[in-house]
Amino acid sequence: MLITGIKSKPVYAPLAADVGGRYHVLVGHGVGAEQLLRLVDELRASGGSSRASRRMLYATDLSAAPNAMATVREADVAHVRVFENIPALLEDFRTLLETSRMGTRLYVAGPEAFMGLVMRIANEFNLNRDEIRAEECGSRARRVHCIHCRAATESVTTNIVECSGCRRWLVVRDHYSRRLAAYMGVMVDAEMPGERPAVKDVFV
Amino acid sequence: MSHANTILVRVSAIEPLTPLIKRFALSPAAGGFLPAFSGGSHIIVVMRGATRVHRNPYSLLSPPNLLDSYQIGVRRMEVSRGGSMFMHDHVRIGSELEITHPVNLFNLDKLARKHILIAGGIGITPFMAQMEDLRAGSVPYELHYSVRGPEHSAFRDRLLERHGARIRIYHDSANDFIDVEGLLGNQPLGTHVYVCGPAGMIEKVVGTARIAGWSGSHIHWEQFSAPPVGDAFDVFLAKSGVSVRVPPDQSLLEAIEAAGVDAPYLCRGGVCGECRTKVLEVDGVLVHNDHFLSSEEKESGRAIMPCVSRAQCTKLVLDL
Repeated sequence: MLITGIKSKPVYAPLAADVGGRYHVLVGHGVGAEQLLRLVDELRASGGSSRASRRMLYATDLSAAPNAMATVREADVAHVRVFENIPALLEDFRTLLETSRMGTRLYVAGPEAFMGLVMRIANEFNLNRDEIRAEECGSRARRVHCIHCRAATESVTTNIVECSGCRRWLVVRDHYSRRLAAYMGVMVDAEMPGERPAVKDVFV
Repeated sequence: MSHANTILVRVSAIEPLTPLIKRFALSPAAGGFLPAFSGGSHIIVVMRGATRVHRNPYSLLSPPNLLDSYQIGVRRMEVSRGGSMFMHDHVRIGSELEITHPVNLFNLDKLARKHILIAGGIGITPFMAQMEDLRAGSVPYELHYSVRGPEHSAFRDRLLERHGARIRIYHDSANDFIDVEGLLGNQPLGTHVYVCGPAGMIEKVVGTARIAGWSGSHIHWEQFSAPPVGDAFDVFLAKSGVSVRVPPDQSLLEAIEAAGVDAPYLCRGGVCGECRTKVLEVDGVLVHNDHFLSSEEKESGRAIMPCVSRAQCTKLVLDL
């Protein structure tokens, strides 16, 4: 079974301003604060984006710099909201997209598992790849979708993991679903019950 | 050749829709049904005239669920190379024509949350079939249809009957024009715009969408350029070892075909890229009339789209 080298594994790039956009929505988590603030500076410098065109949503966690929340709150944007957890941010993000207009660009910064959840909502609004830019930073832990019981196992850092739903041992593949915002987990010892590779930290 | 299998059809109805547009119904000569298609598809109609063969692209305007005949709308072009005049003046009920299988280069986006269709004149035709698909779905859509005057609004009654308030018709004669800025300046996320009509209209819509910040994946347009006329020139086809003279009123592709050499094509209007051909040698300038090659490719002089483009040179060698 192919584990790595799969095309669906997302590729990220450092955030850069898209001056073709009329409105800019910046969404970040944890250490992603730094990337968002850098982007605000770049948008300001480009001259093509007014303060009124920029909105920012940020969820903090322990990985962020101690002063991240305070700095984000002072960003030069029309609207900034800071959240204590990701679900609250996602709910607000959905409300924001419901009233957003064509010409919007989305910028996301943070761990991949977080960005996947944001982009899954963006997909529902038919925001396409040429309207979204994403920069990965922070933990590389994965959301894993069990193909047997369909449960999601969060924050997986190891090559194999016990499914949170059905307790099967799953091998984590690079096969990524944007719709599910998760990597595929497949039972590792289906053919030889009990024969499993050693557990190793690989997504850190 | 990309269309080895053409379908023999018989003209089963002809109806004048405006002073310039006629609708033709084409039924399979062998009986039965024609191939299924999706809204926005076109066919190439092969017209065998007394002195030359015309191959013109026409959008299918009949509902995609009706396959006992296809319908096309043909606008009479006075200054043309003869295809539309042939259809208007020589084709009768019962005439036989060959057509290619339908190809869709103007698809509706299946994930769109709203569709805005903008048509100018004969550019209405692909939308006629697309709107049948949209009518059957649940995604909001609207058509903005610009014509010269009331007598030129082909399909007006049918459109209003099928789509009611989703249709807005604009008459140049009443100085009533589409407010493109207003239309594209305030649309919800996931909206797609589609435009088909004269070159100026397409430029206006695409340019306005870009200024309003729309990304390319939400902007769709189709324009079949008729091959422009130009000076005669000679071309040498390296693989076939044939030398061909391209007269002023014939396209490079037509001249190649008339010489008995099979060349690939799909749209014959400079949009699809199928006929892209490698230029091995040229001692003058290529006159690029297509909407497919990038400006870098056009400047490089290494590729040409024979369906619409020409050359001003004394020597042109193609990899055909």
